[in-house]
Amino acid sequence: MATTDVDMKSSDDKSKKVEEPEAAPAPPTPFAELKANIALIERAVTTLEPRFTHRVLRSLTAQRRKVDDKVLRNVIEDVYSKDAAVKDSLLGWLPNAASKDDVSMEVDVSASKSTSTTEPLPETEVYLRLLLIYYNLESPTTRSSTFKLAHETIDKIQAWNRRSMDPLAARVWFALGRTYERAGELSDIRPLLLSAQRTASLRHDDECQAVLINLLLRNYLHYNLYDQADKLVSKTNFPTSVGNAQLARYHYYLGRIKAVQLNYTAAHTNLQQAIRRAPPAKTAPGFFQAVHKFFIVVELLMGDIPDRSLFRHPVLESALAGYFQIVKAVRTGSLTQFQSTLSEYRSQFTEDKTYTLILRLRQNVIKTGVRRLSLSYSRISLRDICVKLNLDSEEDAEYIVGKAIRDGVIEGKVVHEKGWLECGGGKSGYGPEVSDVFGRRIGFCLELHNESVKAMRYPLNAHRRELAAAEGAREREKELAKDIQEGDMDEDDMGDGDIF
Amino acid sequence: MISPQLVQLQKQLKAGFDAHPCDLKKCSALLVQLKLGLSQAGLLPVLATPDPNMDELIFVRDILEIGAFLSIRSKDMPSFVRYFAQLQTFYTDYDTILPPSPRKDPLLGLNLIRLLTENRIADFHTTLESLRLSSEDATENRFIKHPVNVERWLMEGSYSKVWNAREEAPTAEYKFFVDSLMDTIRNEIATCEEVAYDSLPLKDAATLLFFSNRSELLAYAQQRGWQINLVAETITFATKGEEKVEIPKAKLIFANLAYARELEQIV
Repeated sequence: MATTDVDMKSSDDKSKKVEEPEAAPAPPTPFAELKANIALIERAVTTLEPRFTHRVLRSLTAQRRKVDDKVLRNVIEDVYSKDAAVKDSLLGWLPNAASKDDVSMEVDVSASKSTSTTEPLPETEVYLRLLLIYYNLESPTTRSSTFKLAHETIDKIQAWNRRSMDPLAARVWFALGRTYERAGELSDIRPLLLSAQRTASLRHDDECQAVLINLLLRNYLHYNLYDQADKLVSKTNFPTSVGNAQLARYHYYLGRIKAVQLNYTAAHTNLQQAIRRAPPAKTAPGFFQAVHKFFIVVELLMGDIPDRSLFRHPVLESALAGYFQIVKAVRTGSLTQFQSTLSEYRSQFTEDKTYTLILRLRQNVIKTGVRRLSLSYSRISLRDICVKLNLDSEEDAEYIVGKAIRDGVIEGKVVHEKGWLECGGGKSGYGPEVSDVFGRRIGFCLELHNESVKAMRYPLNAHRRELAAAEGAREREKELAKDIQEGDMDEDDMGDGDIF
Repeated sequence: MISPQLVQLQKQLKAGFDAHPCDLKKCSALLVQLKLGLSQAGLLPVLATPDPNMDELIFVRDILEIGAFLSIRSKDMPSFVRYFAQLQTFYTDYDTILPPSPRKDPLLGLNLIRLLTENRIADFHTTLESLRLSSEDATENRFIKHPVNVERWLMEGSYSKVWNAREEAPTAEYKFFVDSLMDTIRNEIATCEEVAYDSLPLKDAATLLFFSNRSELLAYAQQRGWQINLVAETITFATKGEEKVEIPKAKLIFANLAYARELEQIV
């Protein structure tokens, strides 16, 4: 699970990497990249355009892999003037604070120093702190100090209370959550997250709110506190304007909660959304696999059989081996195969937290079995059902068949005196429900279209130019019309005016 | 510190609780006194403190647990729910600090059975998940195993197994739920029979519905509105006539108009 989140982010920035202006033929040095990012953040703050900050944050994961001690030190030295208090506090968090004798980058530093004359913004400091948190988190020796650094950063952010800092703050919260998760002390952070969530929702801070809700849900689900998680979901409004990465996570957690509560249809929708919103499988395999595990189980619980091609997917093939066996058992309705698969993959299912869900599949296996029998025989004795499905007694078989008839799994009648089941013909399958399914799909497509129209972005004031162009065109047309009316067209006008 | 008076009361309550037969009136009177005393001493409700006093917590937990058992014995479900909610603090938040209580598992099992009899299957599963049991526990722990099995049989339709299992209850308190559980099952079976059979001999219907004598069955059949043919000794279930499949015209028209409107917007 831990890898899931990291992978998700990495994919996010890889997919958007193409748009980056820094994508020059020769890869820029980490130092230059960081400098460019800081410039972007400053631009975001001055122009009040949060999308520049988002662009910076998209490359965060890729960047934090490249960043090392030296680069961070140089950047901090470069951004802050010699005697700034912030500089010293930032440098203090670097693991090897003593080694200052690195001059290899010094030339580069002094060259660009002249550009930054104004005092750096608090946003820049938060960005640098974020990089520091991730950097410290990587090495086991400095992990303990990360707590202090993260908390100090959060305190600072809350004291500043700047809206232009929200996207960065959201990432810092996420990093704080990761720190606690790495240390395995998730339950300690809950009160802090809850109060922060309240503040964020009061300030309409969508970014932080989304991250915090997800962190809380993850926290609850880690301890299997589905009740609390459900209450949190019902009491909060998840901001839908946030990026796909957070939405995909939210849908995944919702799907898990709904699945436990036996609300399989809702769980199915949520998990499907999570899959659709998730980054491509190759870039975020962890998340992709985790979602699919639940997705398959929920689909089975709904009585559907997942697509075979799903299990041939290169990313999923090996991870879903156990689930494939379960699907096979359910499909054939064989209880013995189901039980043996269950015991064989038990540890894997327990680790995936799907074990209890899979246990619930037992009844589906029986239902499928009964259904197959009812389709292949027009009349079958209860004893034979009992033998074929491995049931304990004929009495059980009678009750089970009765329940199956009531639940609409099969059509037929039990003739008690003769001890057999008479199977009726199945429905044709062309009823009003077909149009319902059709309507649902059309609805989905239309919504997708409308959403994508809404999501289009236009540069500000660009329509003015277009208007002016249109105005000019209309003017020309008018002139042309006048010319035509006056009848003094020359040869050229005749040449390109086929329409006349 | 717990006052000696309270300790005295608790001892009396424990003695009263363990006595056979249990004097419910006396015990509930003691419980009321104890709860008053605890609230005055600031021990109830349990507040989060940085370093909790173990003895006090265990003291309160004991009383609440006994209260939960007693409310089942006096068949007072709302009271059981209240006690159980109060105990949740001890079972989840103080789980790591306090020594485990021997009454915890029976109470958890009882709560599960309660949810089953109230037909709250979703809550049943949520609670089961949140017990943080390893999969071993769910199959080994006899207090949890019972409700888990009962739920599985109910879902499968193996009603006879549920019926037979009613004697295997792990503690005496489970028996208090058996009756209402059996009512639930009987209604389930009855709805199944209505659909699955055209008619049934009286004798077989009685066995299927777990009735021991005929008059009970007849009364039940009347209640559900089944036709009884006393000469042929059969019950005939009212057959619901083949439902005519009607085309939901209004709905289809509405949907088509909606598509047209949306398409108009796109084109």
